[in-house]
Amino acid sequence: MIRFLAISFGIFFLFSSCSLRTTEGLRQVPHVDSEITNPYFANSNLDYVYKAKIEVYTRNFGGIQIIKKTDANTHRIVMTTEFGGKLMDLEYDGHTFTKNFVIDELDRKFILEVLKEDFRMLLIEKTKPIATYISPEAQVFKASNGNRFDFYFFGSTSGFLDKIVKTSKSKEKVTVNFSSLDGQVAEKIAIHHNNIQLKIDLEKFKEEKNAN
Amino acid sequence: MAQETSMNPTEVSAFKQKVIDASQSTKTITSDFDQFKHLDFLANDVKTSGKMVFKAPNQVKWAYTKPYQYNVVFTEDQLLINDGGTKSKVDIGNSKLFKKLNELIVNSVKGNMFSDADFEVTFLKSAKYNKAVFIPKDKKIAEYISSFELLFNRDDAQVYEVKMIEPSKDFTQIIFSNRILNSGIDDSVFSH
Repeated sequence: MIRFLAISFGIFFLFSSCSLRTTEGLRQVPHVDSEITNPYFANSNLDYVYKAKIEVYTRNFGGIQIIKKTDANTHRIVMTTEFGGKLMDLEYDGHTFTKNFVIDELDRKFILEVLKEDFRMLLIEKTKPIATYISPEAQVFKASNGNRFDFYFFGSTSGFLDKIVKTSKSKEKVTVNFSSLDGQVAEKIAIHHNNIQLKIDLEKFKEEKNAN
Repeated sequence: MAQETSMNPTEVSAFKQKVIDASQSTKTITSDFDQFKHLDFLANDVKTSGKMVFKAPNQVKWAYTKPYQYNVVFTEDQLLINDGGTKSKVDIGNSKLFKKLNELIVNSVKGNMFSDADFEVTFLKSAKYNKAVFIPKDKKIAEYISSFELLFNRDDAQVYEVKMIEPSKDFTQIIFSNRILNSGIDDSVFSH
């Protein structure tokens, strides 16, 4: 009996430590080979401009986050202070980031790697998933990203991309929540890191109404 | 674009004196402003707007109201920030660059920064405005700002436009309007 309990607990802990929270309550369904799309930074005619609020270990920073798709595979990513001074200017071609300008205070390998990884999650437009899950609320696609995974949650009623979760095999690392009215442009984006105390909240600039 | 020509030495000294006189008689300024961030790859400049309040000798508050609420009060050693309800303070006491930027902002609001040894200044004129172009001598500042331009009304020598041009040629332009001088401003406006 003791041996049975020991094995049972062992199995329980083994499974609980390996179980990924992201897929809890989801049902895996047969996967159809297809491509999914993140539409939120995909329109090269739009300037994507957001007010950014960043909270790092109880410290708060702000700025303006500007993203533009400059050709089929390339995005320009600029962050400025509220006064307009450039903090960071990067280019991403879908594989590699090029650093055009970064102020000394942010030009640290660790900081840049974290931010690049966040931007990658936001900007990757087409992804080929490797597994599909469903729940009453969402259709979820799992994509492979090196030794990590990205889970894309699409609302089952709206069809809008609501969330991307980056995970290891057993833990959620980063969650990106999108709020969108039309499924094409995200009004709000919340990036929350689980392994470091970092939250980035982006709120889209509202279009100025013409006074005439 | 109005045609610009260089001022001759007599015009330069008359202009400087007019700006210094105007700034010495200016105890407070409140003004609306529109800020435009120009990045060459964008279809449209990024526009933000708000109100600027200045009280001599060196209190400045920038209150952005569109499209978001964001206030910054510059004090001697700190930036007091209220970012849509989230308050924070940034110590600038040890940062030479930040102190310089603070000084630049105060002096550019007042229009009196010609004695600053950190800049090489050239003076231009047009039918509409007088213009002072400041080029930083300090290499650190030059990494962020390649030049700093102030446009002054010809009649009252008040600054109506500030333009900060980056080494990449991208720039930030601030245009002032509805300026009110020497109205009573309570110190509580600058409290955090």
